Amino acid sequence: MALLHFSPSEDPVSGLLTLQRELERMLENPLGLNLGFSGRGVFPAVNIFSDKDVCVVRLEVPGVPPDQITIETQGRTLTVAGKRDSTAPEGSGFHRRERDSGAFSRSLQLPDDLDVARTEASYAHGLLTLRVPKKEAATPRQIGVNAA
Amino acid sequence: MTPQELSVRNKQELKGEEHTRAGRTYLPDVDICETQDSLWLWADMPGVDEGSIEVKLADGVLSIEGQVSLQYYENLAPVYTEYNVGNYLRRFTVSSDIDADHIKARLANGVLEVELPKAESAKPRRIPVAVH
Repeated sequence: MALLHFSPSEDPVSGLLTLQRELERMLENPLGLNLGFSGRGVFPAVNIFSDKDVCVVRLEVPGVPPDQITIETQGRTLTVAGKRDSTAPEGSGFHRRERDSGAFSRSLQLPDDLDVARTEASYAHGLLTLRVPKKEAATPRQIGVNAA
Repeated sequence: MTPQELSVRNKQELKGEEHTRAGRTYLPDVDICETQDSLWLWADMPGVDEGSIEVKLADGVLSIEGQVSLQYYENLAPVYTEYNVGNYLRRFTVSSDIDADHIKARLANGVLEVELPKAESAKPRRIPVAVH
């Protein structure tokens, strides 16, 4: 579960920077969107967009095949979990190693006006796209004016 | 609960170079490893499809480039963003011991895999020691 964690092996400075970024993010928090205490820096990175009647959540999950991803919803919370396998063959020496492998899990708490249970997910080229429909009341509607 | 073993690296923008086409370019994260016969490279390029990727080796420089279509984002208003979307480009100087004619590249789940076979002359060879 992706809660803010500080492992002793980690560089203490980077831990502090994470905390600082967290606080900055909570203060600027744009639309009351609560992404859990652990936000930026947690895999997978997320971008959230708004369309007319749907909220689009796009996560970058390169190297994670769709059958390795599980998506769960509970109330307003949406959890994406999975595992990224290492691609390197056995018995080889690394020249560069910038891509981590391992398990991940990230929960997003979405605003009340979204119908999280009706989320649709699609996957293409390492991008996971979740489309969360807005509830009826939240979609803009034009009101006609009756002439008296 | 699933443990959290992965973290996100912020995308580094490619600096010191200008393109005729507008838009930002980022450096993809890579793994490079060496086996007895080949040099292998994997690059994270989420959002790039097979048709928009280019791998080339010229003058001892391997370049991998991927174009990301921004069409999907045209009518969307960003609410919260953690990562940048843009093209990918990264170059590596490789030794001349690569068999340029047999480089293979493949794209799967947003990861580019490149196999650079070593030229025959560069492969390790065991020299038998004659016993008298």
